[in-house]
Amino acid sequence: MSLNEWLVITVGAILVNNMVLARILGICPFLGVSKKLSTALGMSGALIFVMTIASFVAAVLYNCLLKVKISIPALGLEHVDIGFTKLLLFIVVIAALVQIVEIVMQKFSPPLYAALGIYLPLITTNCCVLGAAELNAKGDRGILASTVFGFCSGVGFAIAVILFASLRERLAISKIPRPFQGAAIALITAGILAMAFMGFSGLVK
Amino acid sequence: MDTIILSIVVVAVTGMVLGICIAVAAKKFAVELDPRIDDVAGMLPGANCGGCGFAGCSDLAKNIVEGNAPANKCPVCTPEAVARIAKYLGQKVEESEKKVAVVLCSGTLSHSKMGAKYNGVLDCRSAVQLNGGAKDCRFGCIGFGSCARACKFGAIEVIDGLAVVHPEICVGCGQCAEVCPRKLIKLVPASAPVHIYCNSLEKPALRMKKCTGSCIACRKCVKAEPDKFNVQGFMVRVVYTNPPDESVIEKAQCPRKCLLTPEQHLQAVRDGVKKKEGAA
Amino acid sequence: MSSQTANFKGGVHPLEGKELTSGKELRIAPLFDKYVVPIRQSIGAPPTLTVKKGDVVKKGQRIAEPGGFVSVPLHSPACGTVGDVVEIIGVTGAPEQAVEILSDGTDEWDTSLAPIPNWADTEKEILKKRILDAGIVGMGGAAFPTHVKLSPPPEKNIDTLIINGAECEPFLTADHRLMLDRTEEVLTGVAIAAKILKADRVFIGVEDNKMDAVEKLSAAAGKYRIRVVPLHVKYPQGAEKQLIYALTRRQVLEGGLPMDVGCVVMNTGTAAAVHDAVVLGHPLIERITTVTGTPVVDPANYLARIGTPIARLLELSSGVKENPAKVIMGGPMMGFAQSNTDIPIMKNSSGVLLMAPDEVEQFEGNPCIRCSRCVKACPMNLLVPTLSVMVEAEEFEMAEQNYVMDCVECGTCAYICPAKRPLVQHFRRAKGEILARRRKK
Repeated sequence: MSLNEWLVITVGAILVNNMVLARILGICPFLGVSKKLSTALGMSGALIFVMTIASFVAAVLYNCLLKVKISIPALGLEHVDIGFTKLLLFIVVIAALVQIVEIVMQKFSPPLYAALGIYLPLITTNCCVLGAAELNAKGDRGILASTVFGFCSGVGFAIAVILFASLRERLAISKIPRPFQGAAIALITAGILAMAFMGFSGLVK
Repeated sequence: MDTIILSIVVVAVTGMVLGICIAVAAKKFAVELDPRIDDVAGMLPGANCGGCGFAGCSDLAKNIVEGNAPANKCPVCTPEAVARIAKYLGQKVEESEKKVAVVLCSGTLSHSKMGAKYNGVLDCRSAVQLNGGAKDCRFGCIGFGSCARACKFGAIEVIDGLAVVHPEICVGCGQCAEVCPRKLIKLVPASAPVHIYCNSLEKPALRMKKCTGSCIACRKCVKAEPDKFNVQGFMVRVVYTNPPDESVIEKAQCPRKCLLTPEQHLQAVRDGVKKKEGAA
Repeated sequence: MSSQTANFKGGVHPLEGKELTSGKELRIAPLFDKYVVPIRQSIGAPPTLTVKKGDVVKKGQRIAEPGGFVSVPLHSPACGTVGDVVEIIGVTGAPEQAVEILSDGTDEWDTSLAPIPNWADTEKEILKKRILDAGIVGMGGAAFPTHVKLSPPPEKNIDTLIINGAECEPFLTADHRLMLDRTEEVLTGVAIAAKILKADRVFIGVEDNKMDAVEKLSAAAGKYRIRVVPLHVKYPQGAEKQLIYALTRRQVLEGGLPMDVGCVVMNTGTAAAVHDAVVLGHPLIERITTVTGTPVVDPANYLARIGTPIARLLELSSGVKENPAKVIMGGPMMGFAQSNTDIPIMKNSSGVLLMAPDEVEQFEGNPCIRCSRCVKACPMNLLVPTLSVMVEAEEFEMAEQNYVMDCVECGTCAYICPAKRPLVQHFRRAKGEILARRRKK
């Protein structure tokens, strides 16, 4: 792939087609952990980590099993296409993967687990993790390109949630009219933030 | 047909392999965690009020299981729930009685003499930085409602510049007593029927000038029921380990009307407001 | 910014009002028949009373023992008998214990503290012990025990002693009169403190609106190797950290103390008290207090004994012309409004200020308009508007992260705020809550 294409993948995933603000995926953790900057940072770290691994595993699965037409002459199977089980397999694999990562992390890296652990169950099959895998399959990307896309999507999520958490810390000390307090003002703010990100659209196709 | 069978096989095999992986990982990399913590957390109220002093119910559960906190640490728990936790952990606990908060003050705006003008922040904890607001009494309720804001259950109402606890809503978590800068909110057994609504330590003559609702330590109540009241200096308090019953109000005939049941107290405060509105 | 005088960033220029009293000579308050001596007069543990009702005491006799290291003894301000222990409303409005001393009309010093005229050859531990025995605390306002201040931990290398004669609070002239009328005593006290600390450099910082004091001090300071430095007139020039910066260009960092940058700061009044304790053997039982304000008929400075009710001093000033709207203990910027005039003079009472009704504005705090005048004026460079909304929202943790603990409560921000926001009250509350939380942990 040319440098240009890599740029399209990275800039596209981080800014233009931002997972949260442009694709509206992963809104639950976006709203849930953005009350404080510190939790937003933890969640961002966990999500970048999980998305990178999940995209890699999903891409391997897609490129080796789902994309190709399976032929097993011994069983008399020829050119069977099981691509339609894509979503099913992605969910199962990502969920299991996150579980295993969590268990291993708890054992071998307690500090990392203490920092990210509580967020891991929240994102087992978060829609933006699954979305990244799906988008990779839809774009028919290779394994490396898919992993990079997953990582960049995670970074995009991180940017959005950190910006939003900083805004919400300011909201916490602002005088807000009663009916708008809490989730209402948070959603309005998120909307305005998303509109601001619309400014990037057209940068890449 | 082939497609269906193959896809079922692929999904099933993937699921099985991953399942085995998780099982192996869970076994091999297991970290010892006390399962009792979750169980005890389930028996706690789950309101995360912080009344116990720990960071929420699950943190308290962890500390109860680890023996850092007694099973009856949660002030909101019913005695049955405490007994259940104790039984589950094989502990013995002393009987814990349900407690409620009571604001020991009668100093409504209509009762209090106001010696100063207060222009500061309308919050008790800020007001104590500046002489504690406009009321002359330095022991009574400031009336800016820090306790009402601290109450997670909405049991405290500020009427006519005086905080009043609704005992039927109060769960006795003690958050209000924690924030009250004058320390006049006490946690008392819910079964105690009467209270002396004054917390002043001043000389009775001074109190009388500063607040028409104050106790003047005439000790009529003490004479009526000697073992059931405690006199410390100029402060008369109900002995909450041996509280008097309601009949003491009749017997004592408190001249300042500050020996009352919570209901009568609430009524008196509301009547004061009505009187003021009538006068206006 | 003036080029000759030492200065710091920020600050304000409130109306000075010092002309009411600065030209008048110090008056000595007569002996009154009753003194009310608050037992707790310093930061730290309160002392424990060692006399009981009916005991006969002499002027300067010890009546309470210190309750710990950061604590000082208390002495009787007059000869006579000990009266009741009473509860009074303290300067801050909180109830305080106080002991009454009923004077018998005689005025004879207790002689248990022997004078040390040859202090230059005396060991520093003996001098420190004397300062403790004399019950000396910081007389500028904070009332921190002086013997503790003069005992820095050995790892802190103290090279500079700074004497605070700035008196930046408007209206107060107590230190000004002290420097003029008791010049020699102040300088001797400074020299004793410098000897105890083994400080190489000694500065006396005086705001340049008191040039007469600067000249008089300079003329006599040569033999003690003390430098008298004129300071730019600005509030709060006399705040510890600002004074250190103005004189040495050293900055005390967040949460630090002056000794972290090798400095000890003392008030001129404290220096004079050190002189009295060491050279004369007199404990701290009297201080100079300014009684001033436009409603006062004859404002002046008084050498008044600790425990004198302020009402007595107002009588000496021939009372008031009109009913004052406010009675303030201390200066207008940091003082406390009082609800009565029975408040006694304490070791740290630098003045009594009365304000006329037309000088006192009644107002309600309005929302912040983000003009950021407070940011420019704050001598500690704090983000005042942000901090104040954080405190209003009760986000104390956030306020702590934004250095609310560095606030020195000088009142500059509240003075300059056009929206009349109760900023100092907010910060005081936040500091109280944060300290309470730290203690809990």
